[in-house]
Amino acid sequence: MNKIMVITGTSKGIGRELSQYYLKKGYTVIGCSRSESELLHERYEHFCLDVSDEKSVEKMITDVSRKYKKIDYLLNNAGIASMNHTLLTPASVVEKIFKVNVLGTFLFSREVAKVMSKNKWGRVVNFSTIGVPLRLEGECIYTSSKAAVEMMTRILAKEYAGMNITVNAVGPTPVKTDLIRNIPEDKITSLINRQAVKKMSDHGDIINVINFFINHKSNMVTGQVLYLGGLS
Amino acid sequence: MTEQEIKSIIHLAINDNFELQGSDEKASDDTVLFGSNSSIDSLGFVNIIVGVENQLKERNIDISLVSEKAMSRKNSPFKTVKTLVEFIQEEIEQ
Repeated sequence: MNKIMVITGTSKGIGRELSQYYLKKGYTVIGCSRSESELLHERYEHFCLDVSDEKSVEKMITDVSRKYKKIDYLLNNAGIASMNHTLLTPASVVEKIFKVNVLGTFLFSREVAKVMSKNKWGRVVNFSTIGVPLRLEGECIYTSSKAAVEMMTRILAKEYAGMNITVNAVGPTPVKTDLIRNIPEDKITSLINRQAVKKMSDHGDIINVINFFINHKSNMVTGQVLYLGGLS
Repeated sequence: MTEQEIKSIIHLAINDNFELQGSDEKASDDTVLFGSNSSIDSLGFVNIIVGVENQLKERNIDISLVSEKAMSRKNSPFKTVKTLVEFIQEEIEQ
């Protein structure tokens, strides 16, 4: 039976790579981002929306549910970052980061779980960062938002367990994407040196963890945050 | 959508939940949906509300039952089947 996967933030970076990977596996992928997607595939459908806009998210998931009758997987990938000292961080940036990273993850989890509850089965994967265990200076707001995502992951896991929905999170080490393009090279190097495995993640490393989380045999795996690079 | 149709959807969601709990109880207009006088537990209540929302969506009625307005009302619309029917009718009319 065709697998239906919703991925947020699919116009670029990891979200786009994930879309292409799961399309290749034969899944139907429904993506979204603020901008149009250049990804063209017969099994890919794109929605242009702001993940923190409640009404838009509700409408998207209602449309998806009507068309495909079910959702098997949700990857809450959409996220934004802004690296700066807190003394140089305006409130508007804090608001924006929390809206996309925390509210976006919440809204998609809530709406998709309603659909998954009908089939009494589902897998949700959220995205954290190794910035959380490292308590990275200069990333206070981004990391705080991801700490909230981690706590949400653990609590949603409990709330959704009765519906046979698992909720887990992956915490990648830096990946070469737009998200870190403004971080100086020496900062990235010093960050990587704090990991057990001293290298950047690639998309395959993240996909490997997601595949473990969404596997049918991973029924007992929920509420977990798995960091790459040997961090805990 | 008629009052009777809304009621049927709610009754169905409640009866599904009773069945899941292994209970012989059947939904009525006076079934208490939550609180100490209810035989429905908190997870059952969530399942009923989500079940009703899903059923309404399948009939092309896109309303959210968990709005701030609903939650902050002095007299909760989620108290009994009767109050929930009234609330859904209000939401549909808006």
